[in-house]
Amino acid sequence: MADGRLHAVFARAADARAALQRLGQDGVAPENVEVRSSVPLEHDVVPVGATIKSRIPWTSLAGATVGGTAFFLMVKLTSEAYPLPTGGQPIVGLPPAGVITFEGVAIGAVLTTVATVLFECGLPGWLKKPGPLDHHIALDHILVSVKCDEGASTAWTAHAVETARG
Amino acid sequence: MSGPAASIHEEALVRPLSGFRPKLFFGSLVTGLLVAVLFYSWGYQIVNDIGVAGINRPVFWGFYIVNFVFWIGISHAGTLISAILRVTQAEWRRPVTRCAEAITTFALMIGGLFPLIHLGRPWIFWYMIPLPNERGIWPNFRSPLMWDVLAITTYLMGSILYLLLPMIPDFAIIRDKRLREYPKGLKTLFFRVAALGWRGTPQQWFSLEAGIKAMAVVIIPVAVSVHTIVSWDFAMAIQPMWHSTIFGPYFVVGAIYSGVAVLMVAMYLLRKGLGIHEYLSDKVFNNLGLMFLAFAMLWSYFTFAEHLTVWYGNEHAERAVFDGRITGEFSGFFWTMIIVNTVIPLLILPWPKGRKPLGTAIVGLGVLVGMWIERYLIVVGTLSTPRLEYTQGFYTPSWVEIGILVGSVGLFGFLYFAFLQLAPIVSLWEVREGEHLTHRAFAAEQALRAGREGASHG
Repeated sequence: MADGRLHAVFARAADARAALQRLGQDGVAPENVEVRSSVPLEHDVVPVGATIKSRIPWTSLAGATVGGTAFFLMVKLTSEAYPLPTGGQPIVGLPPAGVITFEGVAIGAVLTTVATVLFECGLPGWLKKPGPLDHHIALDHILVSVKCDEGASTAWTAHAVETARG
Repeated sequence: MSGPAASIHEEALVRPLSGFRPKLFFGSLVTGLLVAVLFYSWGYQIVNDIGVAGINRPVFWGFYIVNFVFWIGISHAGTLISAILRVTQAEWRRPVTRCAEAITTFALMIGGLFPLIHLGRPWIFWYMIPLPNERGIWPNFRSPLMWDVLAITTYLMGSILYLLLPMIPDFAIIRDKRLREYPKGLKTLFFRVAALGWRGTPQQWFSLEAGIKAMAVVIIPVAVSVHTIVSWDFAMAIQPMWHSTIFGPYFVVGAIYSGVAVLMVAMYLLRKGLGIHEYLSDKVFNNLGLMFLAFAMLWSYFTFAEHLTVWYGNEHAERAVFDGRITGEFSGFFWTMIIVNTVIPLLILPWPKGRKPLGTAIVGLGVLVGMWIERYLIVVGTLSTPRLEYTQGFYTPSWVEIGILVGSVGLFGFLYFAFLQLAPIVSLWEVREGEHLTHRAFAAEQALRAGREGASHG
C-alpha cells in the first residue's frame, strides 16, 4: 500500500479473473486497475471495461507503403540524377527497381511494426518504479494492483488475500 | 502458492546468466583466440594489400565469396525457420526459436563481413551506401551486388529486431528475480535497461504478440529474397553453370538445409552443455529431423536437376565445368559433397533412431561441410574453367584466407557464448505459455470426460 496501490498475487488465472470481476462490480474504474503477468493470459483476464487493441496490421501496412515508395523514388531519382550508360536500356529498369522496392517494403513494415509495439506498450518505461511484489510475476504468478485511497478497499483486500490463499 | 512455472526446470536456463561458469569461460577463451586469428589475418591483408590472398586471374572470387554465401546460407537457420513455425503455430517450436534466431543474427553479421574483407580496402565500403555526396554519384541499383547490400541489411535489421522483441519479457522476468536477489548488481542494471520497463500488462502482451506475428509474416519473404538475390550474384552472369533459372530456389533450399544443419549441431551442444534436456527434447530433434530429411531430399533433387540439364544440353563450356566436377580436378570435392549431403542423410534420417540428438548432430556436421564444398564448387569450379579456355587457371587459398575462414567460425562461437551469458537461450515466457496451454487443454479434457461420465451415469 506504500505506493498508493493495493497489490494482490494470484496463482491461477481463474482467481485473478474473479478478483477483477469483483472490482468491476465494486465500480473500480479500469484505468485504476493493472494486471501483470509473465505470460500472455486468456483474453478475459483484463480489468472490467478495459479495451485491449492494437493498430499493428494497419501501421505495418502503412510503413510498408511508405518504405516501398521511398526506396522506389531513391532508385528512380538517383539513377536519373547521374545516368549511367545502359546501352539503350531504360535508365530506371523496372525489374531491378522492383527488387529494391521490395526490400523497402520489408524495411518499412518491420520498422513501423517495432515502433508501434514500443508505442503501444509505453516502452521504454524505465522511470516506472518496481512494485513490492514484482518478484512474484517472475515466479509465474499474476499480480493485480489497484490504485486507491488508504483504507478504501479493505473488503476487497480481504477477499483478494482469501482468494489467493485458497 | 505456486504457479505452473514451478513445474518447469527454468534454473538450467538462467544459470549461465550469473556467476562464473567454467564451460562458458573456456568456450569463450578458445573461440576468442580464433577471433584473434581472424583479425590478425585480416589486419595482415589490410597492411600488405589483397595480393596476400590466393585469388588471382581468372579466379577473382575465392574463399571470401564462398564464405559469404556459406554464412548467409547458415543465417536461414533461425529467423526463417522460427517464423515458419510461429506462423503455422507449431507448439514444439517454443524451445527452439531463440537459439535459432540467435544463429541467424550472428551468421548474418559474419556473412556481411566477407564482402568487406573481399574488397581489400574496407574503408571505402561506404561507396555502396546510397548517401548524398559531393561527386553526385550514386550506387548502381541495377547491379545484383547492390541488391545484396540492401537485402542483407534488411534481413539483418529484421532478424535483430525479431530476436530482441520477444526477449523483452524474458529480460523483465530476470530483472524482477534479480531485483530481489541482487538489487545493486551490474547485471541487474543490465537487465533493467534491457527490459525497457516491461510490465506484462494485457495491452503489452497483446501488442507484442501482434507485432511478432506481423514480423513473422514479413520476415519469411525477406529471408527467401536474401538468398535468391545472393544466387543472382551468380545467375545474372553468363558464366558456365551459373546462368541458371533454378539458381534462386536451389540457393534458398541449400540455405535452409545448411541452416537446419547448424541448428541441429547447436541444439545438440546446448543440450549437452547446459543440461536442458527437458526443453530440447528428443521430440524436438525428431520433428526438426523430419524437416532436415525433407530438405535433404529437396537439395538432392535440385542438385540432380541442375546437373542433368547441363549434361543433357552438352554445351561446350558448361560441359567442361560439369566434367571438372564429375571426373576432373574437383571430383573429390563433388563426391564428398554428394556423400555427406545426400547419401548419409538419406541413410540415417528416415529412421526414428537416426533422428535422435546425436544422429542429427552428426548428419548436421557433415551437411555443413558439404554445403561449404557446394559453394566452393560453384564459385571456384566455374571461375577456374571460364568460357575462354586460354584463361583457365587454378586457385589455391593462402594462409590468410584459411585464417579468416577458421577465425569466422571462432567469431560465430564467440558471439554465441557471449549471448548465452546475456539472455536465456530458451524463451522463458513462450515455454511457460506452452505449459499454460497444455494445462488448460488437460483441464478442459478432464471436465469434458467428467461431464460425459456424469451423463452416462445419469
